[in-house]
Amino acid sequence: MVRIIKEGKFGFREAFALLTIMEITKIFYTSPHVIIKELGTAAWYATLISCLTSLLFFGLVYLLLKRFPGNDLYQVFEAATGPKLGKILILIFGVYFLYYAGVNMGEFTIILKVYSKRLTPTEILTVAFLFVLIAQAYVGLEGIARTAYVFFFFIMGGLLLIILLAIPAYELDYLKPWLGYGLDKTILIGILRSSAYDEIIVLAIIINSIHGLKNFKKVGITCLIFTGLTFSICLACILAAFQYTVASEHLSGMFQLSRIIYYSRFFQRVEAIFLFIWVFASLITVSLAFYMALSSYCRAFKINNHRPLLLPFAFLAFTVASWPDNVAEVLEIHVKLIRQYSFLILYFLPLLVLAWSLITGKKGGKASGENQNAKLENAGQGN
Amino acid sequence: MKKEQSIFAKALNLITYKKTSRPETFVLPETDEKGNMSQNSNSQDKGKGGQDSKTLTQNQDKQNLSGKAGNGADEQRVTGVGLQKRRIPKKPLSPSQVKAAKAAADSEKTDEVKSDYDSNLEAIKQTFHLPENKDLIIREFKIGKKRKAFLCYLDGMADKNIINEYVLSPLLNMPGSVLPEGKSSALDLENIIETNDVKKLKSINKVTAEILKGNTALYVDGLDYILTCESIGFEKRGVETPKSEAIVKGPQEGFSENLRTNISLLRRIIRNKDLVTEFFEIGEQSSTTVAVVYLQNILNPAILNEVRRRLQSIKTDFLLSVGMLEELIEDNPYSIVPTILTTERPDRAAANIMEGRVAIIVDGSPIALIVPVTINALMHSSEDAGLKWYYTTGLRFIRFVAFATAVLLPGFYLALTTFNHEMIPTDLLIAIAKAKENVPFPTIVEVLLMELGFELIREAGVRIPGIIGNTLGIIGALILGEAAVSANIVSPVLIIIVAATGLSNFAIPNYSLAFGVRVLRFYFILAGAFLGFYGLALAAVLLVLMLVNLKSFGIPFLSIVAPRSKKGKDIVIRWPLWLQESRPDFLNPQDRQRQPEITRQWAQEDPNKQVPAPSDSKE
Repeated sequence: MVRIIKEGKFGFREAFALLTIMEITKIFYTSPHVIIKELGTAAWYATLISCLTSLLFFGLVYLLLKRFPGNDLYQVFEAATGPKLGKILILIFGVYFLYYAGVNMGEFTIILKVYSKRLTPTEILTVAFLFVLIAQAYVGLEGIARTAYVFFFFIMGGLLLIILLAIPAYELDYLKPWLGYGLDKTILIGILRSSAYDEIIVLAIIINSIHGLKNFKKVGITCLIFTGLTFSICLACILAAFQYTVASEHLSGMFQLSRIIYYSRFFQRVEAIFLFIWVFASLITVSLAFYMALSSYCRAFKINNHRPLLLPFAFLAFTVASWPDNVAEVLEIHVKLIRQYSFLILYFLPLLVLAWSLITGKKGGKASGENQNAKLENAGQGN
Repeated sequence: MKKEQSIFAKALNLITYKKTSRPETFVLPETDEKGNMSQNSNSQDKGKGGQDSKTLTQNQDKQNLSGKAGNGADEQRVTGVGLQKRRIPKKPLSPSQVKAAKAAADSEKTDEVKSDYDSNLEAIKQTFHLPENKDLIIREFKIGKKRKAFLCYLDGMADKNIINEYVLSPLLNMPGSVLPEGKSSALDLENIIETNDVKKLKSINKVTAEILKGNTALYVDGLDYILTCESIGFEKRGVETPKSEAIVKGPQEGFSENLRTNISLLRRIIRNKDLVTEFFEIGEQSSTTVAVVYLQNILNPAILNEVRRRLQSIKTDFLLSVGMLEELIEDNPYSIVPTILTTERPDRAAANIMEGRVAIIVDGSPIALIVPVTINALMHSSEDAGLKWYYTTGLRFIRFVAFATAVLLPGFYLALTTFNHEMIPTDLLIAIAKAKENVPFPTIVEVLLMELGFELIREAGVRIPGIIGNTLGIIGALILGEAAVSANIVSPVLIIIVAATGLSNFAIPNYSLAFGVRVLRFYFILAGAFLGFYGLALAAVLLVLMLVNLKSFGIPFLSIVAPRSKKGKDIVIRWPLWLQESRPDFLNPQDRQRQPEITRQWAQEDPNKQVPAPSDSKE
């Protein structure tokens, strides 16, 4: 009997918190720097174009899942394209998630080293991070989701606090010229950067853990709109505080924003406190991606327990994180690849599958894997 | 013989994954609004035990649907186990097993009460190891100067006045003419003995158990049973004020070591016919009685079933206290924070029973265990219900601040002074630096020295008897702190940090949680010392991860946050009593409604309405 790892179930709130954190974490990293560099003052609304594009793609993925009710994305791949091709698609996703986890971890440690831990070796920072990451992945998806829900309020509260406390530094004229480097460039980059929101596809993979299609749609749309607005506000604040030329020089716009908070001689330089939300958000994001990589591998090869794979996968993630030689390489190659071109994997592959299923007229009820999963849950055997 | 492993194999073993066998995870079945039970797959079933757990849960679903509770649950459980379809291979019995079976059969035969005076007397003597054992008193006499009889009891466990006046006296004063001729068994002893409770027993083992409880066994020649008469009368402590949960506004009674007294204290508070007490004997050698008290019409039967299952399946020789029992029935015995609430207050136990929880009381322990609980219950105090809601809410916030301070403050100070000086305002930084100027140790050593010193003083204060302990603790702390500062071993700022941490630790209302906090403090100190705020953040994520995965009898320990249940009115903010209309949602009680929507109905009535006195007013 083929067994599938059991991922538990959680509700709307946990799913929303989990995906929102995964989407929003990049605002703490180099994302604002990259988008402001490319689009100047138009960055704050270009991200809304990315969000709208992402919503469109999300709608198409929804249509695909609707054709195969009761199945998650991986089961749809197998049902629509056959077990062999399906397995390859699952593995492509798995490799991408591993790469995503490694690059995000690398980006995080670089930011940390630049802004806070200048004297600590990067390896120490990464290994400490990996240790908690392994613990999170060991517990599984449900544990990560519940942890995400607990920290969601801290992260959003911290973000709000930074934005509010930096109000004295805002100058609305810094948002001019309104059209940035030109509307055409804004729209093109805006559409390309829909990749910055494509983590939402994770919902399609964990759809059976979030009580099905109805919750999938609800969580996905709410999460995308919420994230889009948050990104837009944060970018507008960064631009208003630093002006686009300076803002494009800062490695982490939000961290810099927290640095300029000054109310009196006593209340200043409080950015270290916000380090906590940086770490919380990064850990949850990377652990989810890391777990998705593990899960994809287990699903592709019908492995019923992901725990023995933790150390090998952690080693691989560490390798990916240590891959780039310098910050520029991280930003110009890896981060750009993830935030600008990853939609080719995460959105286009499901769309191709949708097109294929429309051409071949394949539809489906519960896949065999789902039945097996249900049987497995009844039997109580899993991880 | 165990095969020797090479060093390489041993090293490899350290880093390779080994599947550990975990206990079966019990999950409380969810109920929707229509009362249907749906299977909750929230659990992270671990190991191979998961199958049993699921079968059990499904079975409990069925049980709840059919509305069966109480005794039915056991039968259901047994059936549930049968559903596992595990094929148990039949093996031939080994010679030792055959011997053991024979011995068991023989003991069953010898266990019977004979109709012969000498045999029964000898059986009792053998059971209690007479003549070496001097505790058992056997009084032989003749009823009406005709029929031989003996009574026996444990000295110190039984009340001699009861035995003299209500057992011996009626028998000795009975005229011989009343007695039937010969060794007839028609003697109606039950109507002669004047004690409250008498039992006719035909098993020596059962008689032994009764004698061990403090009752008196009586045998009259010719009868085929032994009569046990209630005569329990050992020395015990009276009902006193709780030692560790003292409050100002509220009842001042605490549990004592006597099980019956404790149950009566609960019954005095909950005068309800549905309040049920079940007894379990735990400990093969000690046979300690454990009582499970609950409200039949409120408690979720699945929780009760789980409590019974855990208690019945304990195999140990000796159970001394609730602490031992807690360790034996906890979901996660390795957890730093307790997942079972302990209280020495009957009013608090009663309040929890009323909410749909179970109180477990061990004979000989003045503390009750309450299950299942969530983290907020550990931050509540008995006084919360007696104070106005906004006072209580304020106090609870202070407790949460105290919790955070006790766990994080030293680690935070360490991270701040070692890694993130820029956060400290310049004047304060100069003051700290000046104070630390003459101290030769790094901050981590200072912190560890002071924390260990504080723990030492506290431990010594507990061990020193009486009032001297407290005084010595305070004086010791003052002198030690002052001397440490004068000797330039620690900086004065650190004394403030350690003192604030210690005070905050004492503000945590739960004794076991306060212990957990002490351990967590050192964990955060190490995290802060090695990686500053980054380390603290990583440590916090690990802690939350541990907390979200904890369960207390199937209820997620962080139920109030994740997974989120319906918003309660007595979680952190204690809303006014008239707004607390329902019982905690995560307990899935049979009766969710605690009171009607309008509790203060007088507020809607005509203030001039004439109300007659109650017809049968009680005291």
